[in-house]
Amino acid sequence: MESTFAFLNPEPVFQGSPHGGADDGYLRGLRVALQPSISVRDWPAEAGSVALSGFTALEDATVVQRLRQAGAYLRGYTRMSEFGFGLGGGEAGAALAEGADIELVLDLMGESRAAAARWKVSAFKPSYSLVSRLGIVGLIPSMECCGLVAPDLGTIRKTLQTVAGPDDLDFSLLDEETPDLSARTIDPAATTVGLIREAADGLSTERQEAFHTSARYLESRGFTLKELSLPDFALFSLVHRIIGSVEASSATGRYDSVRYGPRAPGARNWNEMYLRSRDAAFGTFLKSFLLQGAFFQFNRYEAFEAACRIRAQLVTEMANLCLRAEYLLLPTPQDTPPGPTVGAPADRPASLSATYAQFDSTLFANVTGQPALYLPPTADGTRPGFQLSGAALSDGALLSLGEHLLSDANGEEW
Amino acid sequence: MDYEAVVGLEIHVELNCATKMFCDCPNRPGDEPNINVCPTCLWLPGALPRLSEQALEKAALLCLALGAELQPLCAFDQKVYYYPDLPKGYQLSQAHLPLSRGGAIDITGEDGAPRRLRIHHIHMEEDVAKLVHEMEGRTPIGLVDFNRAGTPLVEIVTEPDFRTPHEAMEFLKALRTQIRYGGASECSMENGTMRADANISIRPRGTTQMNTKVEVKNMNSVRHVGDAIAYEIERQTASVESGEPVVLHTRLWDPDKKVTSPMRAKFEGPCVPDPSVPVIRLSGEWIAEMRARLPEMPTVRAERLATEYGLAPDEALTVSADPQVADFFEALAAQEIEPRTALHWLTTQLLPAVKDTRQELSVCRVTPARLGALLKMMAAGKINANAAREVLTRMFHTDDTPEAIVAAQGFTQVSDPDALGAMVQQVLDEQPAAVADYRGGQVKALGFLVGRVMQASGGKANPKVIRELLTDRLSAAE
Ligand SMILES: [Zn+2]
Repeated sequence: MESTFAFLNPEPVFQGSPHGGADDGYLRGLRVALQPSISVRDWPAEAGSVALSGFTALEDATVVQRLRQAGAYLRGYTRMSEFGFGLGGGEAGAALAEGADIELVLDLMGESRAAAARWKVSAFKPSYSLVSRLGIVGLIPSMECCGLVAPDLGTIRKTLQTVAGPDDLDFSLLDEETPDLSARTIDPAATTVGLIREAADGLSTERQEAFHTSARYLESRGFTLKELSLPDFALFSLVHRIIGSVEASSATGRYDSVRYGPRAPGARNWNEMYLRSRDAAFGTFLKSFLLQGAFFQFNRYEAFEAACRIRAQLVTEMANLCLRAEYLLLPTPQDTPPGPTVGAPADRPASLSATYAQFDSTLFANVTGQPALYLPPTADGTRPGFQLSGAALSDGALLSLGEHLLSDANGEEW
Repeated sequence: MDYEAVVGLEIHVELNCATKMFCDCPNRPGDEPNINVCPTCLWLPGALPRLSEQALEKAALLCLALGAELQPLCAFDQKVYYYPDLPKGYQLSQAHLPLSRGGAIDITGEDGAPRRLRIHHIHMEEDVAKLVHEMEGRTPIGLVDFNRAGTPLVEIVTEPDFRTPHEAMEFLKALRTQIRYGGASECSMENGTMRADANISIRPRGTTQMNTKVEVKNMNSVRHVGDAIAYEIERQTASVESGEPVVLHTRLWDPDKKVTSPMRAKFEGPCVPDPSVPVIRLSGEWIAEMRARLPEMPTVRAERLATEYGLAPDEALTVSADPQVADFFEALAAQEIEPRTALHWLTTQLLPAVKDTRQELSVCRVTPARLGALLKMMAAGKINANAAREVLTRMFHTDDTPEAIVAAQGFTQVSDPDALGAMVQQVLDEQPAAVADYRGGQVKALGFLVGRVMQASGGKANPKVIRELLTDRLSAAE
């Protein structure tokens, strides 16, 4: 059977911190699977794209440096969708079944959370500007973030504590000290969870049902549920489509087959070489996204500007909702089953619209930059699945809420 | 019909920063190709831009030196175009929220009246890589040098306030002076640290319409800018008069043929906000700190030089035009060198010599202290002007003190009347005709005799003493 890993660490066993330096032992022995969009020196960081085939990372991403420093073992690169956009053709989450304790999955529109839903594990998308993007081969710089996928939240928290925090080499990060990421006690009686009414609009009956089951479960655990309204919730998807595609269009402008990547033959000049090589390198699905971005950039710039204004407004509105409830409950991502065999192309969505429908409940956090947590349901159905969120940089508290829900200490029949 | 030109300038200035704009690579574009590069300025996957603090400071100083208003909020955009000199497919520039707005430069028009030429805005920008075209055997090849990729630039965009080539040239000269004062750039059009493009259109004199403009590039001196604008005004006038409409395009100035010719423009898309460089917020305190760093500006300095040292207004302007020259002058004056002597030696001796030896005044061996010591010896009568010029020439090639050079070369002036008396008598004996001329009322003959004595002394005699001795003896013998 073909491995879910596209590349395995040539160092077969954990040998302590590399380069002779002592590690601090915080993650000692933790086996980390990485998507090949996260640079590891000398590894083929091809980001799931033909355009990067043959490209070898020159430096460790900041995230990787910190993992090594903490004594984690980098197990290898997984197979990922083209630049991590959507889950089609990738194997996000599958490495957990092949001896990885945690997998780092680039979250552009909810991929880490959707992968976790598929594999019935947990996923955490940190706040934007909490984790360095240096060394991440990205697609949508203002929305993407390193998602953490693992069976248990303890591993996710320790990994987040390791990789988060200021980086002299990423100026988009916070200058201030890292917010408190330690565990804290959750008192349900003193905690309000907001439920955005419009987030359930347009969902299938099943997903609406699941959403309300999650809400009832929270109530049964003693939390106060508060219904909130965000009439513009549907605009998250539109804003992501416009801004995300424009950013992707310019972010992929550098793939010209000059320095790396296959060069299409037969070109008579540099311009033809660019055009042919790019045509051959990008998949149809990604191309439709890039072309859409180019369209907004060159033909409908005013729509892009409007999307930027709406985005700013949505950020404010969500921040205001977070003042009315400490946490937010959102529908879980569409539960798509894993592909039939590991390594085979998974169910690739046919179109951009289908992909956006798949991520309709997750991409809000990529647009606003706030953290989001996915918790899987139990196999016996005694506890439903959740997607929870909170104010930007409330990551530590959000993980604590998750830990509280997963512990059955206070569980009652419901 | 009588036409007038409407001209606006776009001036790129390379900031003299230690590093590039978004990485720590040395800002030395002229080094051996492709040695000053890193993943950021090569834009390899995973690289992130990090705006240099020094680039921001220098750009801000430049804005303040031009009287522009720094904006509390500015941001970088992506200027999208695909070309081999730009491997990431966009240039980081500021299209929507520039670093500063406003500002102006005052010049004197051809009619002698003051003219104020306004600046629309100034923005920061990274330079792109340099393309080098060579032949490999018979095949033309294009090479890319990334040393220049990411070099910090600012672009100064003026209002279309210019009507004549003279105004554009005067503006550029004043702009250069003020930016040099701010210490942000050397602003040499010849070395490419300042590049000016002109947008030129014409309209019937007295109207206010804005017609289709033509952009002219590739002028690498202030003179060329004037010539190109003059040529383009003539060309467009002839074209309009023959019934041909002006179409929007870009032209290149050919300095040899002195004509402009159309060039193929690069495809340029719109500018979208860059998501990787954070927006820049400038606090009032930071702006005040930058303002405090700005030295006294040239026009203010010229006024002070005139009152403090008694220089004529045009002399003061000339000296203040270059901060290095003005600093040198003031350093000489501070050593109690008579200001007129200091000005004379600086402008007629030192600056031409510095230019001849292709040095920079600020780093040349002849420091204000050394030149001051030389001029003091001259003032004290220890050497004469001829010897001082000789010594100055030697000072460019040695670090010896002027005193040591004078002693070693025997340049010490001879002022002793007894020592000079014999030489004077000998010349009088040898030149009876000149003596007769002088006695016959031809005063000029005295100069000739002085020259002969100087020659006899090997240039060391004190001319003042010779003159006294000669007049004494010529009148005594009468
Ligand atoms: Zn660099």
